[in-house]
Amino acid sequence: MLSVEGLTIAADGVELVHDVSFAIAPGERVGLIGESGSGKSLTALSLMGLLPEGVTASGTARLRDRDLVGVPESRMKDLRGSELAMVFQEPMTALNPLMRVSTQVAEVMTLHGVPRDKARARAAELLGPVRLPRPEQVARAYPHQLSGGQRQRVMLAIALANGPGLLICDEPTTALDVTVQKQMLDLIAEVAPALLFITHDLAVVASVCERVLVMYGGRVVESGPIREVFTRPRHRYTEGLLAASRLTPRGTRLPTIAGSVPAAGTFPGGCEFRNRCPHADTTCEQPPALTGEGHAHACWHPADRG
Amino acid sequence: MPTHAGTPLIEASGLTRVYHRPRTSLTRPGEAVHALRGVSLTVRKGERYGIVGESGSGKSTLLRLLCALDRPTAGSIRFDGREIAGLPERRLRFLRQSLQIVFQDPMSSLDPRMRVRDLVAEPLVALGEPVGDRVTELLDAVGLPASAAGRYPHQFSGGQRQRIAIARALAPRPEVLVADEPVSALDVSVRGQILNLLADLVDELGLTLVFVSHDLSVVRHVCETVAVMNDGEIVETGAVDDVWAEPRHAYTRTLLRAVPTLEGFR
Repeated sequence: MLSVEGLTIAADGVELVHDVSFAIAPGERVGLIGESGSGKSLTALSLMGLLPEGVTASGTARLRDRDLVGVPESRMKDLRGSELAMVFQEPMTALNPLMRVSTQVAEVMTLHGVPRDKARARAAELLGPVRLPRPEQVARAYPHQLSGGQRQRVMLAIALANGPGLLICDEPTTALDVTVQKQMLDLIAEVAPALLFITHDLAVVASVCERVLVMYGGRVVESGPIREVFTRPRHRYTEGLLAASRLTPRGTRLPTIAGSVPAAGTFPGGCEFRNRCPHADTTCEQPPALTGEGHAHACWHPADRG
Repeated sequence: MPTHAGTPLIEASGLTRVYHRPRTSLTRPGEAVHALRGVSLTVRKGERYGIVGESGSGKSTLLRLLCALDRPTAGSIRFDGREIAGLPERRLRFLRQSLQIVFQDPMSSLDPRMRVRDLVAEPLVALGEPVGDRVTELLDAVGLPASAAGRYPHQFSGGQRQRIAIARALAPRPEVLVADEPVSALDVSVRGQILNLLADLVDELGLTLVFVSHDLSVVRHVCETVAVMNDGEIVETGAVDDVWAEPRHAYTRTLLRAVPTLEGFR
C-alpha cells in the first residue's frame, strides 16, 4: 500500500528526519511513536505534501503506484483527501467554524469531482458509521455546538469520505477525555483502510496498532510487531521509554531517561541517543544501522540479547 | 509515612458552585450551570490527596475554590481551622503563603518577560519577605543549576520549566502544594523525572499535596487517597489502592477500563 524509502527532511541545511524507510500493507495498522522533536509529525506531513515553507523532503514514498514526495502541489492536491487523508490533533482548529458540518463533509467530495447534490446526500450517510448520535442533527450543526469527541468523529468522516487507501492520524485523541478516547481508538482501528497512527503515548499505540516504529532524533531506531517491541525492546531508548511509561504504585521511584530531548539540529552525531544513554561508549560515535528482519533496531549495545 | 494520622488541614463541606451562562433572551436569565453540587472532602496534614475526573467533572472548579481563586455559591472551606470561603483577598495572606499551586502548562504560567530569578522570587516579593539566597537554594532543590537564574523561560525545555514552576511554588515555604495536571503537558521520558522530584520534595519538606489529574494511574503513583469526580460530585473516595483494585462506583469502573495500559506487555 504505502512504501517509504530513504525519506529525509531538511530545513535551512539542518536535517530533521534522516533516511526513514518503512512500508504499510493494506489493512495494516502501524504506529509511529516518539517524543516531541522526534520528527514523527514531519514524517506524516511530508507524506501529505503539507510541509511548511522552507522545509524540503527527499527520498521516495509511494502510495499504491503514486509518488508522494517531490511531487508538485497541483498533483498532491488531487491525492490529498482522496487517496490519503489525515486526522489532526485539534479538531476545533481543523474544522471551519463558519460552515455547517454537512457542508464540510460534502466539500471534500465536491473538491474531488463528486457532483454537489450527490456529495450532500452522501455527507449525511457518512456521519452514521463514525457513530455520531443523531447524525441528521449533527449534519446541520456548527462545530462549536459539538463536543471534542464529536468533532473528532466529524474529522474522521471527512477523512474517509472519498475512500482513501491510507489514513494518517496525528495524536487524534490527545485532546480528548479518556472515556471518549477509548471509543475513538476503537472506531479508528475498525474503519481505517490502512493506518499510520502517530502518538507519544505507548499505551495508546498498543491498543490500536499491530506494528510500531519508534522514532528518536529524526531516525527510526526500532521497528517491529508491537508485542515483540514492547515485551523485548532492543534499542536503549525504547527500553527507557517503556520503563518510564509503566507507572508503578506509590512509594516506588519511576525509572527515568536522563536529560531531555535536544532541540532540532543539536543531537549528537553518531547514535542520536548517545548523550542520554547509560550504555553509550566510543562505538556509539558511529551511526548504527537499522538491522534485523521483522523486529529491527539501530543500537550498538542492544538490550535483551538472550 | 503519616497516612491519615494527620489532623484535618483542608475541610470542605457542601461546596456548590453555580455559573450562569450569558443570557440569550431579554426576558429570561441565562441558563444555570451546576459545576459543583455539594462536594465535601477532608485533606489531612501530610496527606497526598488525588482528585481525578474528566473535563466538565468540576475538578478545576473545586481546585479554584480550595485555592480561594473563586467563591462558592454555597458551602464552607476551612483551611487549618479558618474559614476561607468568601474572604476578601486582603484577608487571604496566610493562605497565599501556606498554599501554592503548580499549573499544567509551564509555558503560560511563567511570564515570558521575566527572568527565572524574578519568577522564583515573585511570591516572596509579593508577601514582602526577604529573598536573600532563597532563589539559588530553590533552584538547587528542583535540580536546576544556579546559572538558570539569569535566563528566561523560553530558554528551557518543558520539564525544566515545570521545575521552575515548582521552585516558585515552594518559595514561601508553603504547607500545601496544589498541582493541577503538572505532568500532562510533558513527554513520557520527562514525566518520570518530575513525578520523582515532586515525591522527593513532598517527603523532604513534609508537604501536603493536592494532586489533580485526569489519569488515575498517575494519581495511583503519587497519592494515597483519591476522590473521583463526575458531573460536579465526588462519586467515590478512599485509599487509592482500594479504589484501583475494587472500584465501587460504575463511573470509576468505566474510567479504569478506558485508561489504555501496557499491562499486557511484560
